[in-house]
Amino acid sequence: MRRMLDKRALGIAALFAVALLLGYARANEPRARFAQAIASLNDAERSALSSAPGQTVANAIWALGSEEAVRKMLRAELDRVPAADAKARARAFVRFGIIDSNPDGQAAVFFQACVSEPSLCDRARLIAVAERETRARLVEPGQHLPLYLMSGHPAP
Amino acid sequence: MTRARSLGLVWPYLLAAVVGYLLGSIAVLASAALGGSSSNTPLARVGFALRESPEAPLPAAGIIDGDVQAVRSSLALPEREVFDLVVAVRGLDNGGTSDWKRAEQICQALTWPRCDREALTQLKERCVP
Repeated sequence: MRRMLDKRALGIAALFAVALLLGYARANEPRARFAQAIASLNDAERSALSSAPGQTVANAIWALGSEEAVRKMLRAELDRVPAADAKARARAFVRFGIIDSNPDGQAAVFFQACVSEPSLCDRARLIAVAERETRARLVEPGQHLPLYLMSGHPAP
Repeated sequence: MTRARSLGLVWPYLLAAVVGYLLGSIAVLASAALGGSSSNTPLARVGFALRESPEAPLPAAGIIDGDVQAVRSSLALPEREVFDLVVAVRGLDNGGTSDWKRAEQICQALTWPRCDREALTQLKERCVP
C-alpha cells in the first residue's frame, strides 16, 4: 500500500514538473524572441535604445507641436543631450534656427550647430539638413527654410 | 471502481498539471520584473519597439505593456502627455494598432495646432527615434 502511494506521489510530482516547464516555455517564447532580437544589435545600437523614447517624443513635438511646445522641448533637449552626442545637439540647434524669426538669432544658433557638428559648417550640408527638418514639420512655423539660409549670408 | 473513486484518483494529477502550468507562466513574469541588464530595461525595450517601422506589425505585441507604463511614469509633464500620444498613434499598448480617437483627444488636450486624422497619420510615420 505504501509503495503504491509513493509511486502515485512520484507521478504527481513528475507531472507537476513537466507542467511547470511547459508553462514557463510557452509564456517565455515571445519574450525570449524579443530579448534575442535586442541581443542581436551591435553595442552602439543597443546603448542608443535607452534614448530612443526621448528622441521619439522630441520628434513628435517637432512634427506637430505648437511653437511654444517646440521651444520648450528644444531647451529640454539641449539640457538633456550630452555634448558627446554631437548629431542630436546639432539637430536641436538646427530646429531652433528654423523656428527663430530673427535672422541674427538664426545666425547664432546655426553657428552653434556648426560648433556641435563640424560637418554642418558646410553651408550646402546645413541647408540639406535644415530642409529635411522642415519637411518633418507638419505645422507652421518651421515648414520653410529660414531667411538666413535662403539669402546669401556667408557660412556660419 | 465507482465514478467517484476514479475521480478521486485523477484529481491530484489534474491539479498538479494546472498548478504547475500556472506557476511556470507566472515565473516568466516574475523573472522579467526582477532581471534586466542596462540594455534590457523598460526604456530600452520600448526604444527597440519604437525603432521598428511604424507600418510593420509590432514585434513586441503584448510583451511591453508593462514597460510602456514604466517609461510613462518616469516622465514629467508635458513629455508624459506627448509620450501617451506616441503610444496611441504607434499602438504600443494595442498590438501595433493605432488608437486614433485617443490620439485626437490627447492632441487636443495639448492644444496643438492640428489634430485631424490626416495630421495624426503623418505623425505616426514621424514617431520614430
